[in-house]
Amino acid sequence: MNIQSVKKINDSATGLFFAYEVLTDEPNIRYTVPHNEENSDYQAILEWVVEGNTIED
Amino acid sequence: MTSTIKADVVTAQTTNGNVTLQGNGTGTVAISDNTAITGTLSATGAATLSSQAYPTAGGLWSGRNMVINGSMAVSQRATSATGLGAAASYPTLDRYQLAGNTNGRVTMSQTADGPSGIANCLKLACTTADTSIASGGYFFFHQKFEGQNLQRWAKGTADAKTVTVSFWVKGNASATYVVALEDADNTRHCGFTFPVTTSWTRITRTFPADTTGAFDDDNAYSLTCIFHLSAGSDRTSGTLPSTWQATVTANRCPGITQFLDSTSRTFFLTGLQMEVGAATPFEHESYSETLQKCQRYFTKIAPKVNAVTVRGYNSSGAVVSSWFSFPTQMRTEPTCAITGTWAVSNCGQPAFQSFSVDGFLFGATTSSAADTYFYPDASSEYITASAEL
Repeated sequence: MNIQSVKKINDSATGLFFAYEVLTDEPNIRYTVPHNEENSDYQAILEWVVEGNTIED
Repeated sequence: MTSTIKADVVTAQTTNGNVTLQGNGTGTVAISDNTAITGTLSATGAATLSSQAYPTAGGLWSGRNMVINGSMAVSQRATSATGLGAAASYPTLDRYQLAGNTNGRVTMSQTADGPSGIANCLKLACTTADTSIASGGYFFFHQKFEGQNLQRWAKGTADAKTVTVSFWVKGNASATYVVALEDADNTRHCGFTFPVTTSWTRITRTFPADTTGAFDDDNAYSLTCIFHLSAGSDRTSGTLPSTWQATVTANRCPGITQFLDSTSRTFFLTGLQMEVGAATPFEHESYSETLQKCQRYFTKIAPKVNAVTVRGYNSSGAVVSSWFSFPTQMRTEPTCAITGTWAVSNCGQPAFQSFSVDGFLFGATTSSAADTYFYPDASSEYITASAEL
């Protein structure tokens, strides 16, 4: 997953945060990644943040 | 000389009650046809019945292969992918991750070829060579395992078992590669070289018991069965450990042929099995059994093209949605993805409203209070969920 941007997304009814929308270098695919450390893509987001990138609210 | 004992009963006279029928080490102890054996028949050591080797201690009659998709039958993502080798990905066959960081590029495919009884194999073809792999370069493919599926090893205990990895392999020319087991929980490894020829050959490598370092009993990554095909000196300058040891990078794959050194290189593998004890015949299973195992880690859901996926009515700006269950519970909350631009009526593009290990809520925001629906209008538009290790 070559991350370009990460944005928090909220539940449409409760308005509470539930996952991240991730755009990558694959323009035809929209990823939704859970806030869950067992998920390897969430681990990739954490590494992406450590590299100096920011998650959009 | 032929000697004959004629008796109705042979009774042990020894204190331990044993009766021994002993050949001379090269002949056989035969029981004539149509002779029934009653009571409990027990045998220690390897058993071969009708030329079939059977599981030894620690093995199982079925479910003994810890590898998923060893017959290379399931390929949900794609049957072929090109230009691979610059990063880690799951491009084709389920459960097999390809990883690399060199200038070499390969095509990976599910190919209709194999030894007798196995229809498909994993094929790698080098399409761009890298004849001077950097010291830190690597190229391999592997399958990762959850710790809870490895407890039968009894690894890290006094009762630890040997484990055998077996597979069928061939290539375009003679070559030598490395198969290794790498314990991610305890940072330990053990590996062996294996030869490749131009004909299908079954390779078996038995890894010794390891009384150090137990696997975590959970759904996280604990072990990989890895095939090293190219690597730089950082990973090849040491000595390949034939007994388990703390991981040393230089010891990961000494002695390998560089698969990426020529565009004529091909590599074929199938019938991959990892089991406790000695090698047994490859354990075949139905396509549906293999698919369901794969779907714990990745599933592709392709709704009918040009048929409504979700339809409803809601106030302007609200969401019309429906819950879809995964075919099997996934390993953990998956990454869900929508591919392509879907056909919509009175709404934006569909999105995941929520999800869990069991399924997902899929919907779209309405533009006005009216009939609202969406659907894929091409086979390139579908949903995936990935919970790979």
